[in-house]
Amino acid sequence: MNVSVRTKKERVTIPVTGMTCASCVEHIETALKDVPGVASARVNLALERALVEYDPAVAGVSAMVKSIQETGYGVAATQAKFLVLGMMGSHCQTRIQQAVGETPGVLKVTVNLSADTAIVDYLPTVVSSGLVAKVIRELGYEVTEKTEGQDALDRERQAREQELARQRRNLFIAWPLGLLVMLGTFREYWILPAFVPAFLGDKWVLWALTTPVIFGPARQFFVNSFNGLKRGLTDMNLLYATGIGAAYLIAVINTVFPDAGFGGEKATFYESAVLLTGFVILGRYLEAVTRGRASEAIRRLMKLQPKRARVLRDGQEFDIKAEEVEVSDLLLVRPGESIPVDGVVAEGYSAVDESMITGESLPVEKKAGDKVIGGTMNKTGAFKFRATQVGKETALAQIIQLVENAQATKAPIQKLADMVAGHFILGVHILALGVFLFWFFAGYNLWFSPESRFILSPYTLTGLGVFGFSLLLSVTVLVISCPCAVGLATPSAMMAGSGKAAEHGILFKGADAIESLSKVQVAIFDKTGTLTVGRPSVTDVVAAGPSQNDVLRWAAIAEVNSEHPLGEAIIRGARDRTLPVPSPETFDSIPGHGVEARHEGRVILLGNRKLMRDRGVDIEPLLVEAERLENEGKTAMFVAHDGHAAGVVAVADTLKPTSAAAVAQLHRMGIEVAMITGDNLRTARAIARTVGIDRVLAEVLPQDKANEVRKLQAQGKKVAMVGDGVNDAPALAQSDAGIAIGSGTDVAKETGHVILIKDDILDVVAAIEVARATMRKVKENLFWAFAYNTASIPLGAGLLYPAFKLVVSPELAAFLMAISSLTVTLNTLLMRGFVPSIKRQRESERFAAPAEAAAVGGGNR
Amino acid sequence: MNENARLVGTLVSFGIALAAAVAFFAVTGVGGYTAVARYGGAAWVFLLALIVAMPTVLPLFKRRSGG
Repeated sequence: MNVSVRTKKERVTIPVTGMTCASCVEHIETALKDVPGVASARVNLALERALVEYDPAVAGVSAMVKSIQETGYGVAATQAKFLVLGMMGSHCQTRIQQAVGETPGVLKVTVNLSADTAIVDYLPTVVSSGLVAKVIRELGYEVTEKTEGQDALDRERQAREQELARQRRNLFIAWPLGLLVMLGTFREYWILPAFVPAFLGDKWVLWALTTPVIFGPARQFFVNSFNGLKRGLTDMNLLYATGIGAAYLIAVINTVFPDAGFGGEKATFYESAVLLTGFVILGRYLEAVTRGRASEAIRRLMKLQPKRARVLRDGQEFDIKAEEVEVSDLLLVRPGESIPVDGVVAEGYSAVDESMITGESLPVEKKAGDKVIGGTMNKTGAFKFRATQVGKETALAQIIQLVENAQATKAPIQKLADMVAGHFILGVHILALGVFLFWFFAGYNLWFSPESRFILSPYTLTGLGVFGFSLLLSVTVLVISCPCAVGLATPSAMMAGSGKAAEHGILFKGADAIESLSKVQVAIFDKTGTLTVGRPSVTDVVAAGPSQNDVLRWAAIAEVNSEHPLGEAIIRGARDRTLPVPSPETFDSIPGHGVEARHEGRVILLGNRKLMRDRGVDIEPLLVEAERLENEGKTAMFVAHDGHAAGVVAVADTLKPTSAAAVAQLHRMGIEVAMITGDNLRTARAIARTVGIDRVLAEVLPQDKANEVRKLQAQGKKVAMVGDGVNDAPALAQSDAGIAIGSGTDVAKETGHVILIKDDILDVVAAIEVARATMRKVKENLFWAFAYNTASIPLGAGLLYPAFKLVVSPELAAFLMAISSLTVTLNTLLMRGFVPSIKRQRESERFAAPAEAAAVGGGNR
Repeated sequence: MNENARLVGTLVSFGIALAAAVAFFAVTGVGGYTAVARYGGAAWVFLLALIVAMPTVLPLFKRRSGG
């Protein structure tokens, strides 16, 4: 017998520091994959996180952290200090160290017996300080956290702000000095002699102005590239370091030894070195801004997590940390407070703003028995509720986890971009070597002219020798080719897109889901519960003599003791019209035909044609109407009262109010829409006609839905399946983009690639729009990240030189590189203003409504 | 990575870069180039060759050592 042992994989998110470009991503992924037990590793540069899937029986988080650190990067661990009371000796110390140390996400534990403290280094993405405290408390000790003001989120923001401040400081050093060096270098040209003092053009002054920039702001490139090279790694820093270093070194040589053959006094490239630094740091600064902006969605969600909770225990109110709330705790929420965890209202009444979680803009009324979601805002009344989900089980925690996971994954397009960028640097160095050798051995002798100039500069290269000239072009190629914006192009757009989607209650499970959904050509909707409400209701009442209300009331009286879904629909319909529905004196169910009841001495019959014919009721006048209703996909039931045909009651599973609008919008977007159902073809076609659906897949058993998806895929179509995520699971999984609709807040159980919290079918349209907008942004970003550099490589390599005697200066190369970073940054920021069309329509309707009302009001006389 | 493999890999990378620089220096000996051009060029070729060789050679040794 074969026994296959399946290991259970776990996921961990590790915050990584010190990454600068796409090649860093590749280095860290490679290092993590080398850790035994790691199945996959995906690093997101914009989010500065590594998402690792591993076998916990083989790999530990500590080993992963070590591998990251050995590669030369940092791990943003958080430290918490606890006051632990009740320790009796070293065995207590060992117990705590062991128990806490075994908690996933804890990196280091130091227990000090004499000071009664425990210092714990942990990954905030895996474990919280509250959970650590709980572990210690469960061992039987009294523990309180020595808070030092910052939680993990604040610390993360602080780290980002420090990085921004550092690069800003570098900018303030590099740019003013750079501009002075520029003025000094070009003081003989244009109108500059009139107001630039002569001493500023002195080579030694230029050296004095440039050197602080090289040893200050530019130092990071030399240090980082040296650290990388020590491990056999190349990254963007190396391009900058070689470019800046070579320009500075030539300038110094020409200052100290003007006759050394590097172009002499006229070829001191101080401005190249200093402006190169300035532009690169500008690029770095912009990248830091983009990274900070891109993770805004997660931060916004994290900010929703309440910190404190008011728990009622033994009739007393206690103010505790929200993460210490336990299941079945009774909590109190006052007006204007955040709801700390998920639960069910026990007593009280209020309206709750759930917009931050579900995207629903109107407050939702809450009474005893209703669910409340942690992180939402209580508006008006006070109420008590019982906790049902706490900690990582809450809807908000699940949503944050889902969004984080989605942002840490890679779309196929990003994998390609990272691979290209990773190999690009090596390719650039090979190209730079090739360019150097070509100009050294051939180009210089063939074409060099003392009248050569830099593009957009009056500067001539008169005294440049073969080595200086070849080196200049080689350095320019290094700088101009640097695809530093590539690493951010895709993840920043993906993060902006998934964050934007989360704002509207649309959750993507991964970047690949965004990419797949953006390419969808066919959307298949499950009928019941997706296009329709999912439960039958009365749609038509046809009366043949008596009033419609009488017909419906008799039908309801006949069904009042029945448990048939159609009967329930009739009773609901009667009660909706506030019709009295008393119990009949007698009731008899006739299986397969209908029911017979006696009320106030009269016989009521409700059922099909056969029942009526068997009882001698003439239904001829009602047959045309009955057939019309049946052709519309409705179930028509005849009602007879006291032996006479009274009318027809039609029942059907009604369409959701937004179904037709969603289908129409999908058509406008060029997407073919299909409906899949187990119903018979006539009913299915009738519903499809009402909604405007092109293709009907009827009489399909639940287990065959996935096959239908497969058939469409076999025709080469990208298929999205929209279902309720429970009985449609196989079809959702088979489709290119499975959309689980109306999950509510139980997002973790859903099987789809895309999860819609609300039960609104228009969100399918919104999800596709967000996906398309995101992918558009990704492609634009990648274009801008590569375009400038790729287009300017031939210029940098000296393509224009033979014909025009013009070369690109290193600082112009750096400018082009910085421009690509700037473009990517600005382009990503534009995503923040994106609003799905349906949301725009609703907003405009909301604004228009009062105006219309006013107009109507104004029209009254 | 196995420290030994890393050391060997680094030495091989340096060897390749040095060989490229020496080759460059030798070739320029017959072209009437100045000493600055020859030495400077050799240094630049050494640096670029080292940058190209290290990330290419080190993983090979790493794989071979099973690291």
